[in-house]
Amino acid sequence: MIETHGLAKHFNGTTAVDDLNLNVKPGEIFALLGPNGAGKTTTVRMLACLIAPTRGEANVAGYAVGRENDAIRAQIGILTESPGLYEKLSAAQNLDFFARLYGLASAERGERVKRYLDMLGLWARRDDAVAEFSKGMKQKLAIARALLHEPKLVFLDEPTSGLDPEAAKLVRDFIAELKSEGRTIFLCTHNLDEADRLADRIGVMKQKLIQVDTPANLRRKMYARRIVVRMRAVSDAQIGAVKALAFVKSVERADARLVIALEEPEAMTPAVVRALVQASGEILAVSEEEHSLEEIYLNLIGGTK
Amino acid sequence: MNRSRLMAVVQRELLEIRKNRLLLFTIFLPPLLLTFLPLALLAGMGSMGTGNMRPEDIARLQAASPELARYAPSEVIQLLALQQFLLLYLMMPLFIPMTVAAFSIIGEKESRSLEPVLATPIRTVELLLGKSIAAVVPAMLATWLAYGVFFFGAQFVMTARVYAGLLNPMWIVAIVILAPLCALLSVSLGVLISSRVNDTRVAQQIGGMIVIPLILLGMGQLAGIILLSALTFVIGSLIIALLDAAVLVLATRMFQREMILTRWK
Repeated sequence: MIETHGLAKHFNGTTAVDDLNLNVKPGEIFALLGPNGAGKTTTVRMLACLIAPTRGEANVAGYAVGRENDAIRAQIGILTESPGLYEKLSAAQNLDFFARLYGLASAERGERVKRYLDMLGLWARRDDAVAEFSKGMKQKLAIARALLHEPKLVFLDEPTSGLDPEAAKLVRDFIAELKSEGRTIFLCTHNLDEADRLADRIGVMKQKLIQVDTPANLRRKMYARRIVVRMRAVSDAQIGAVKALAFVKSVERADARLVIALEEPEAMTPAVVRALVQASGEILAVSEEEHSLEEIYLNLIGGTK
Repeated sequence: MNRSRLMAVVQRELLEIRKNRLLLFTIFLPPLLLTFLPLALLAGMGSMGTGNMRPEDIARLQAASPELARYAPSEVIQLLALQQFLLLYLMMPLFIPMTVAAFSIIGEKESRSLEPVLATPIRTVELLLGKSIAAVVPAMLATWLAYGVFFFGAQFVMTARVYAGLLNPMWIVAIVILAPLCALLSVSLGVLISSRVNDTRVAQQIGGMIVIPLILLGMGQLAGIILLSALTFVIGSLIIALLDAAVLVLATRMFQREMILTRWK
């Protein structure tokens, strides 16, 4: 759905995006994760044909950026960084205007406006001026605007930014629903939790793309998998028994806990438990060590400084 | 050009203008006020006769323009003043829509509503022409309304012969054809300026200069250098129509989406 090769954007000698190579598959939620100024919005603007790349190539929804911009614009929906609504107009008038820009026929426009206002819980407020809306309502209306023409590909730039937890959850649930309809979603965020919960794949970006993978694979790539065995007490004999297992990569002792690095915890944990029990170990609990996406992200971003 | 998208822009802009009562007030009030002033002056002239003007000066004017010969001296004074006042109705469509036009692109950039619009399949020419037409419509309605009031009121403050001058084809061409074309030129320039500067005040200041050529036209007429006639206005209309098209093409070429989105803060 999106393919880029060496995409770059420079502004007056400053590199906003450099050598971006992406491949977003149809129907997936791809999250571009990065700190402020990492080039996420610039990337979206290039892919949405709002600004021209300085270098490189991009193909969006089957069309080439720079050569088939009108066709791309007709195929995509975009939620920009700021909702950018016409505050004096009503919710329905805002949507109707954009539906006309996307070339929807009169009868179809009314039906779509109703459907999306309904889906996002704004139908009852359809005739109210947008200026009277809360931040969350404006964001929902901007999302409805991006979907009116039912695009195959939707760009969402910081969709939950500045929203209260309830509104943010509603928006996240809605994004998940969009994926179930088969749409491809390109999500820009610096909200790690959001990317972790929603995305099939995450691209960590800081001008360049640092890593791209599923959240689970990112965890695996960054950290060795380790199990934590909580015991009543730990003896040297028990540590020796674990170390004697050929597949154990390392063993660390922390008070009455053993942190054991394993290639495949699912297959190897029972043998570790057996060895400890045979060495008179009293096991209280066994769990796999969890790494938050935050740790991974900070590690990746920190590594580029 | 896609007519549906063009009309969508026009109607949305008009809807926004309609919802801004203060803006509507400022569009319609000045032309109406400017209409009562000439009516009062014409009424005053009618009662003052030739005023300070010497009979030999009037005789010289009548000799220079034979069509003035059939008028009484006090009527000649009224007729000359009438021509100056009518130029006002050509000037109105130039300055009335300037605020709307100057705000058109900068305003959208400031409210951040421009980016979602530019992300749709809309063409630059559709956006700019739509905004221009939407600025012209209220300006022309205000001008024609003011002219209507002037036309109605004039019959009570001038003689029937002078009043007949209002039906001169020259003024019909001026008000019905030239004025909207001038308004379109003014707003197209305003939209062009609005898309090139990032401060509304600067756009308005630059836009205000549009009235200068018309003031020069008025002065030229007063000095006897330019003689206004139906033919002058028809030729003027053709020139302005060409200028309208040229400015629209120029504005479309000079509209840089990227600069507006990335450099304006």
